[in-house]
Amino acid sequence: MTANLIQGDHVSCSRVGGALRRESSRLLHHARALEDALGDLEAAQGRITDGAALATAPIGSMATAAAALRELRATADDLDEAGAALQRYATDLAEGHELGRRAQRRVQSAGLLLEGTRVVEPWGPAAAQEAERRRAQAPEVQSRVDLAAAHVGRARGRLEREVTRLTEAFSARSQAVVSARLAPLPPHRR
Amino acid sequence: MPADHRVDQTLLEAVAVVLNRSSTAAHDASHELLAHYSDTGAAPTQRAVNTLIDHAADALRALTDALAEVSDEFQVTHRG
Repeated sequence: MTANLIQGDHVSCSRVGGALRRESSRLLHHARALEDALGDLEAAQGRITDGAALATAPIGSMATAAAALRELRATADDLDEAGAALQRYATDLAEGHELGRRAQRRVQSAGLLLEGTRVVEPWGPAAAQEAERRRAQAPEVQSRVDLAAAHVGRARGRLEREVTRLTEAFSARSQAVVSARLAPLPPHRR
Repeated sequence: MPADHRVDQTLLEAVAVVLNRSSTAAHDASHELLAHYSDTGAAPTQRAVNTLIDHAADALRALTDALAEVSDEFQVTHRG
C-alpha cells in the first residue's frame, strides 16, 4: 500500500468553509435587523409622539450601536471571504487528489516507485530490456507527478496568502472593538 | 432635554433586543468556528488556517461583548 501523493482532506476543508459562510450569512441577517431597528429609532428622533410613553434617546449609544453594526457587517464579510477561500482550496485539493491518483497509477504501471515526489527505479536485478523500458518512461511519469504536486502547491500558496490577509483583518477588528469599548464615554452618556 | 431628543420607548427596547440577539449570534458563531477541523495536508497551510480560525473566533468574542454592552446601554435608557 503506497501513501497518497497528495495529502489533505478536501471534504473537511469544504465543511469548514461552509461553516464560515453559514455563520457569515446568519450575522448579516442580524446586521440587517439591527440596521432596520436603528433606522426606525433615527426616524423617530426629532418627532414628538403626543400621548405615547417617551424616553430620552441615547445619542451616545446610537453612535456606539452604529459602530457595532459596522463591525458586525465587516466581520461577517471577512468570514464569508475566508469561507470562500477554503471552499476554493477544497475544490483545488480534490482536483489535486485526482491528478495524484492518476500519477500514482502511471508510476505503478511503469514499474517505477515514488520517493516522496521523486520517481525512482526499483532496486534489485532486472533484465536489461526491462530496465531500459522503465528508464525511458521515468521522465514522462515524473512530469505527471510534478503536475499534481504543483497544482496543489499553487493552491496552498493562494490559500496561505488569503488566510494571512484575513487573519490580519480579524486581528485589527478585535483591536478596534476592544479599543472602542475601553474608550472613555462621552459626558452626556453618564 | 429638548423634546426632539425623546422617542417612543418601544423603539429603544427593539434596538436593545436586536443588539442582544446579534451578540448571541456572534457568540454562537465563535463556538461553531472552533467546533470544526480542516485537514489542509501541509503544515504551513494548516498553521495559517488554524491561526485564521483563532483570530476570527477572537473577533467574534470581542463583538459579542461589544454588542451586549451597547444592548445594556439601550435597556438602561429604556428603563430609566
